[in-house]
Amino acid sequence: MPGTNSVLVVSKNQLNKINTWMFLLRGCAILILVSTFIPALNPAMVSGLIDKNSALFTMAVSYSSLVEGFTRAINRGWVNSSTVLNIYVSSLLTFLSVAAIVAGCCMTLGKLKLQRLGIKIIIIGCGAAIISLLLLFPAYYALCGSTNLNAVQPMISYSYLIFAIFLIICAILGIANIKLLPKPSENDKYEMEAKYKLFLMALPFVILCFLFSYLPLWGWRYAFFDYTPGLGLSWNNFVGLKWFEFLFKNAASRADIIRVMTNTLAMSGIGIATSFLPMAFAICLTEIRSVKLRKSIQVVTTIPNFISWVLVYSLAFAMFSTEGFVNTVLIKLGLEKTATNFLMSGSHIWLKMWLWGTWKGLGWSAIIYIAAISGIDQQLYEAATVDGAGRFKKIWHITIPGLMPTFYVLLLLSIAGILSNGMDQYYVFRNAANQNSIEVLDLYVYLLGLGSGGTGNIPLATVVGMLKSVISITLLMAANWFSKLLRGESII
Amino acid sequence: MNVDSVNKTNLSSKKFKVFKVRNDRSLGDIIFDFFNHVFFILFSLICLFPFYYLFINTISDNNLVSSGQILWYPKGIHFDNYLALLQVHDLATATFVSVARTILGTALMVLASAFVGYLVTKQKMYGRKFIYRFIVITMYFNAGLIPWYLNMSMLGLTNNFWGYIIPGIVSPFNIILVKTYIESIPPDLEESAEIDGAGYFTIFWKIILPLSKPILATIAIFGAVGNWNSFTDSMILMSGNPSLYTLQYRLYIYLTSTSDLATLMNSGGSVSQNVINSVMNMRTMRMTVAMVTLIPILLVYPFMQRYFEKGIMIGAVKG
Repeated sequence: MPGTNSVLVVSKNQLNKINTWMFLLRGCAILILVSTFIPALNPAMVSGLIDKNSALFTMAVSYSSLVEGFTRAINRGWVNSSTVLNIYVSSLLTFLSVAAIVAGCCMTLGKLKLQRLGIKIIIIGCGAAIISLLLLFPAYYALCGSTNLNAVQPMISYSYLIFAIFLIICAILGIANIKLLPKPSENDKYEMEAKYKLFLMALPFVILCFLFSYLPLWGWRYAFFDYTPGLGLSWNNFVGLKWFEFLFKNAASRADIIRVMTNTLAMSGIGIATSFLPMAFAICLTEIRSVKLRKSIQVVTTIPNFISWVLVYSLAFAMFSTEGFVNTVLIKLGLEKTATNFLMSGSHIWLKMWLWGTWKGLGWSAIIYIAAISGIDQQLYEAATVDGAGRFKKIWHITIPGLMPTFYVLLLLSIAGILSNGMDQYYVFRNAANQNSIEVLDLYVYLLGLGSGGTGNIPLATVVGMLKSVISITLLMAANWFSKLLRGESII
Repeated sequence: MNVDSVNKTNLSSKKFKVFKVRNDRSLGDIIFDFFNHVFFILFSLICLFPFYYLFINTISDNNLVSSGQILWYPKGIHFDNYLALLQVHDLATATFVSVARTILGTALMVLASAFVGYLVTKQKMYGRKFIYRFIVITMYFNAGLIPWYLNMSMLGLTNNFWGYIIPGIVSPFNIILVKTYIESIPPDLEESAEIDGAGYFTIFWKIILPLSKPILATIAIFGAVGNWNSFTDSMILMSGNPSLYTLQYRLYIYLTSTSDLATLMNSGGSVSQNVINSVMNMRTMRMTVAMVTLIPILLVYPFMQRYFEKGIMIGAVKG
C-alpha cells in the first residue's frame, strides 16, 4: 500500500509540542558537547595537580599531559599511578559517552524510526556518562587518602555538579521526547531527508572551523585576568581593565607601543606607497616582445616567492655576512677596507626590509596584473593604433585604466591589513643591533606573550592582540564601505 | 558566429598586421626597449644569483669557501658536505616531520576543501547559507596569536604532530575557490548520476573530484608550499618537543646558533670527528642545510609554474 508508512495521525498542536521538546533536547546535547571543550566546565577536575587549562576533551585525548602534572606526586608516593589512570579512564569514557550523545543528536534529524533510535542513544549516552563520572569518586577518595593533602588538593568542583545536571536534564528530555513521539509503523525505515544528510556531512567541518577560529575568541578573557601559566583563571585574579590601562598609563609600555606602531606603520606605509610597482612591473614586462624572454623572466622572478623567510635569511646570510659575496667583492674592488656584517647593522632597517620584501614578492604580485592585462580587450589597442596612438599613449589610456580596478581592490585590502605585516620576515632578520626598529606589531605580540622561553606577559599580549584584531576588522569594514561608495562593489 | 563578426575580426587583424609592419620604432621606443630589457635581465639575475651562489659554495672546497674565495664559479668540486649532513643531529627527524606534514596536511586540506566546496553548492542543504558564511567569515578576523596558542594548548595540540595538520584542514579561501569552480561544472552530470542512483559520496568521488582536478592541483600546490615553508608554528607550538621541529625551523636554529659543528654532529658515527671538522665548517653547513631545504621547491617549481598562474587567475576572478 503506497503512502501508508508515512501517514501518521499527529495533530498540528502535538507536532509543535514535539518540535519544542526536540529543540530543547538538541540544545541540551549541544551544550554538553561544547562544555567538554571548556576548561571551566571540566567535571573531571578532581585534583589541583591537573592543569587548570585542560578541558574534558584534553584530558580524554592526552594521557601524557595528565600524567605530566602528577609526575612529582607519583614519584613522592603521594598519588598512586593507578589513581591517575582511573581519572584518565573515567574522563575518556565520559567523553565517549558525550560522543554517543552527539551521534544520537545527529540521528534525531532523521525520520521517525531513526529519530527514536537517536533519542534512545542519547538516553543511554547520558546514563553512561553519569556512570563514568561516578567512576571519579574512587579516584577522589584515593586522593583524599593521600599523605600530602596540600600538594594533591583533592576537590569536587562545581563543574562536576553542573555537568551532571546537564546530563540528567538531557536524559529527562530524552525520555519525555520518546513518550511524545508516535510509535513507528512496521513499514518505517531508518531514513533521513537529503537536506539533513547534507547538513550532517558538512557538520564536522563546521565544528573544526568553530574549534580553530571561533573558540580562540573565548581566549580574549585572558585580557581581564592576572594570568600565570599553570594556574587557572578564577574570580580571585580578575583585574578588569587593568592591562588596558597598564598599556597606556605605564610610560615604558606606552613608549614600546609607540615604537612598535611606528615600525608597523612605516613598513606597511612604504609597502603601500610602492604598491604601484607590481603594476609597473607587469606593464613593462608585457612590453617585451620576445615571448621566450618574457616567460623566462616571469619564471625566474617568481621563484623567490616560494621560499620561506628562513631560506631568504640564509641566502641573505650567504650574500651579506662578513665572509659573504658582497663584502668580498667590495674589498676586492677596494671600495672597503674591512668587512662589515650588513645583517647586523641597524641602519636603514625599514628600507632593507622593504627591499627584501620586494625581492621576494615583486614578480609574484605582478602575475595578477599580467592576468588582468591579458584580459583587456585587444580591439581597444587596435582602435588606438588606427587612431595613431603610440606605445606610451596606449599604456596610459588603455592599459592603466584597465588595471585600475584590480589596483584599487589590492590597495584597499593592503590598507585594511596595515597592522598585519606578519612576523616571519622580521623574526628571522631580527638581531641585537636592529631589534628596536624591526619589531612590528605581530612580532611584538609574539615576543611579549610567548618569547623568552614562554615566561611572557600573556594578558598584556592578549590585550595588544585584541586591539589589533578590532582595529584591523574596523579598517577592513571601512575599506569595504569605501569600495562600495567608490565603485559600487564590495571587496569582501 | 555570424558572417559579420567573422569579417570584422579578419579585417581588424589584417589592419593590425599592416600597421605593425609600417610602424617604425621611434627613438623613444628604442630607448625604452633598451632600458626595459636591461632592467628585467638585471632583476632576473638578482633573483637567481643568490641561489646559484649558495649552490656553488656548498660544492666547493670548504677551505676556499671559508676564506671567501668562491665568487663566480665553484672550485674544487666535491659533494662531501651533503654526505656530512647525514651526521647532523635531528636533521633526519626534521626532514621526516616536514615531509609527513606536507603530504598529510596538503592531502587532508585538499580533500576537505573539495568536499565542503561540493557540499555548499547543494541548494537543498539545510542551513547552507549559514554554514558557508560561518566558514568564510573566518578569513577576515582572528582572535590573535596568544588566544590561538592558548586554545591549541587547551585542545592538546601543542607538542603534538597533529597540531600542524588539524587546524589547516578547513581553509576558507580554498573552499571558495573550489565552490566557484564546481559551480561552473554543468549540473546535468550530477543529476544524471543521481537518477542512476548514486549517493552524494559516489557523485563526489566519481564525478566532482575528477572534474575539478585543475583547481585541486592549484590549491594542493599552494598548500604544499605553505606547509613546507612554515616555521613559526613549529616554533610556537612545538617548543616542548624538539623532535617535532620542521626542517625550516631546524635551519633557523642552525642559522642563529653560535655553537660549532661538533655539537650538532652525532658522536660515534662512521666518520671521525676530525674528518668532519676539516671537511665542513659552520658556514658551509648552514649553506648546505639551506640548499637541502631549497631543493624540493626548486625541483618541482618548473612543473608547478602553470598551476601557479591558473591559481592566481582564479583567485583574481574572485577578488
